[in-house]
Amino acid sequence: MNYFTIHHHTRYRYESAVSESTMEVRMQPRTDRQQRCLNFQLEISPHAQILTTGDCVQNMIHYFDIPRNHAELVLRAHSLVMVQEGPVLPDALDETEWDALLETAAAGRMWDWLAPSHYARPTSLLAEFSEEVGFSREQDPLTAILQLNESIHNAFEYTPLSTAVDSPIDIALENRRGVCQDYTHVMIALLRQRGIPARYISGYVFQEPEKKQQQDLSSASHAWVEAYLPAVGWIGLDPTNSLRVEDKHVRVAIGRDYEDVPPTRGIYKGEAKSELTVGVHISETEDEEIPTDLLDNGHWTPREHVEELSSEVKLNNDEQQQQQQQQ
Amino acid sequence: MATQKEAEIPPGLALFSNYALDTDYFDEMFQLDGRPRDAYRKLLQSILELQATELTQRQQAADLTFLNRGITFTVYGEESTIERIFPYDILPRIISAQEWNTIERGLIQRIHAINLFLRDVYHEGRILQEQVVPFDLIYSCKNYQREMRGLHVANDVYTTIVGTDLVRLPDGEFAVLEDNLRVPSGVSYMLANREVMTQVFPGMFGGYGIRSIGHYGQALLERLQALTPKGRDATVVLLTPGIFNSAYFEHTFLARMMGIELVEGADLLIRDGFVYMRTTGGLQRVDVIYRRVDEEFIDPLHFRTDSVLGIPGLFNAYRAGNVTLANAMGTGIADDKAVYAFVPEMIRFYLGEDPILQNVETYLCGRESERKYVLENLDKLVVKAVGESGGYGMLIGPFSTKGEREKFRQQIQADPRNYIAQPTLRLSRAPCYIDGNVVSRHVDLRPFILYGGSPDETVIVPGGLTRVALREGSLVVNSSQGGGSKDTWVLEHAELQEREN
Repeated sequence: MNYFTIHHHTRYRYESAVSESTMEVRMQPRTDRQQRCLNFQLEISPHAQILTTGDCVQNMIHYFDIPRNHAELVLRAHSLVMVQEGPVLPDALDETEWDALLETAAAGRMWDWLAPSHYARPTSLLAEFSEEVGFSREQDPLTAILQLNESIHNAFEYTPLSTAVDSPIDIALENRRGVCQDYTHVMIALLRQRGIPARYISGYVFQEPEKKQQQDLSSASHAWVEAYLPAVGWIGLDPTNSLRVEDKHVRVAIGRDYEDVPPTRGIYKGEAKSELTVGVHISETEDEEIPTDLLDNGHWTPREHVEELSSEVKLNNDEQQQQQQQQ
Repeated sequence: MATQKEAEIPPGLALFSNYALDTDYFDEMFQLDGRPRDAYRKLLQSILELQATELTQRQQAADLTFLNRGITFTVYGEESTIERIFPYDILPRIISAQEWNTIERGLIQRIHAINLFLRDVYHEGRILQEQVVPFDLIYSCKNYQREMRGLHVANDVYTTIVGTDLVRLPDGEFAVLEDNLRVPSGVSYMLANREVMTQVFPGMFGGYGIRSIGHYGQALLERLQALTPKGRDATVVLLTPGIFNSAYFEHTFLARMMGIELVEGADLLIRDGFVYMRTTGGLQRVDVIYRRVDEEFIDPLHFRTDSVLGIPGLFNAYRAGNVTLANAMGTGIADDKAVYAFVPEMIRFYLGEDPILQNVETYLCGRESERKYVLENLDKLVVKAVGESGGYGMLIGPFSTKGEREKFRQQIQADPRNYIAQPTLRLSRAPCYIDGNVVSRHVDLRPFILYGGSPDETVIVPGGLTRVALREGSLVVNSSQGGGSKDTWVLEHAELQEREN
């Protein structure tokens, strides 16, 4: 069992003042079978009344509006999350699992996770790539999924800023470079094509300092895949890191792909261009540091003040526009 | 029976010399032997007494009234958009008390079942699990709103306002052609037709006990107010896409009639999760929005991001229960033309009753065997895109060219789920006064159903909009395709009429 403290800062700076901002935020870690969000706080500047609601798959949404003029919008989200290790998986499953998958599809409950979605959809480049990585129903689905996770990891070069969060998968497929969203969208599209329900998870990953030097992935929001097998349920796979998700990933939102669950989505009035800065810091927290009342689901304000952000990633203009449209 | 004899079409009478009467189509006015149906006897007498000159004068007076009142609609062409007066025929369409009784019971049954279906599909999904309706048909529907899953809708009313299109087949039975469950329009023409008719033709009503439709506005307002606990104190607004919308006349008409504000997206805003309207006296909280804006345009934060018609953040206010939208979001899954085919099954499934009004036979191109039949019979069938309305996206086989059929063949093969086909319907004909003659033209009927959550709380003003295909031989009644309309009379109870006689 691990405890993580996460600071997620987002800042929009506008060339000139804008008004009538409306925004919704998906940053609160989920509480479900494998993890518990013990504390979540969101601060907005300029001040706004923050309201909450849930979407159709119970992701928590915070939303607010800022009517008056403002040239800057800052969001500070702090979470404390307990993550448990998932159930131990068998080395392989029976081949009859393919039949169980067919039955699952025929029952209709997995429609969302089997149908093509905005970003995870078949393209001709995907078909070529699918040929390349190969696929055989002779191995059991679990083995096939794990192999695909590795093949995708090996086929792409992780290149920060090589694509935008909302790039179609073809850009990554063509250049064989991408960021976590691309790895994830490609894998989801391939899994669905193979009849395996797959969904997009946005969240955070904690990496040990020594690993971090190789690939600095904890500096921003992360994304990975969950695949469904009737025998074992949902299993998490991180193709960017060639990992099976265990107890280092913090799940924030579930979607068909990125389109369903951007961390922020907003609209404002004004002609001004905006500049977006995002910083995420995730650290392990020892359980003795956590007051017991919080573990009983009470409220607790973190003692430590916001740490200096570990890094700041500037995203390009395309992304800003996607995340926040001008009205 | 001297009166009956007098009322027959006098042979050789100039006014009726071009009147077609045959077994292919049900005639609303005449039986096959040329004798008028009971409900039309007095009308025929009036026509014969008035003669052509006077009929023409009244027709001109009616046209002028429509023009002066600005009762128009917009036709979207490929290159230009034209504003037109809604063509109007002065001879009313008459429905007997008994016929109306069947229609009314049938519609209430149908719309109640459809609302139970919408609730079910967005919650437990029993009808899908029991495979009465295939789940892929619903989930692949463009109008399926995932975000409506699990969302409670006020009073479980998904469709406050419905306009269901009925046709009358050669055997005289009314059948349902389609249900318009999203933003049905046309009710203003129904009301305007009656108003104009009363003005220019007061004598025509003489001796008829015609049921009133004047309470529509009040009934609609009550249904809308009932969607919030505030009831009569609720602030209700009508949201229009604006003056360029084809039904803008109707929006202004209804708002005025109900005494509520007509607003555009820019007039509304969201503050702390509630909806407000900008007024000269400041912001005023809005409880119910009668939306005449399609749902994909209603909130750019959630749906069409390029929409300037909507209100950013509205969906979250709706989801939080802070505002009610009528109709609710996501109702389009039930008027998808492929899902329509399952409405009789819905009635059996939820109500355990047999449908009072029948559907028109429908072939789903998504099913291989039915698609094969459709492709082999394109010249006989009417093919429709499942999500279209207003007569757009349609192929009428018998009146199509080879090129048009080929185009549809390719479209069907490329996206079979998106198409259905129906036999070319033999719509009934009713008398119309055109160019100095009484002639028969094809008609349909769109009654407007105000659903309140149960059959008892549902109101249908007697009648509806009768649409006429004014071109000779044409079966297309849509106003966008050259159709017009006429006043629709539902008669008081038969016993009452007899006593008066």
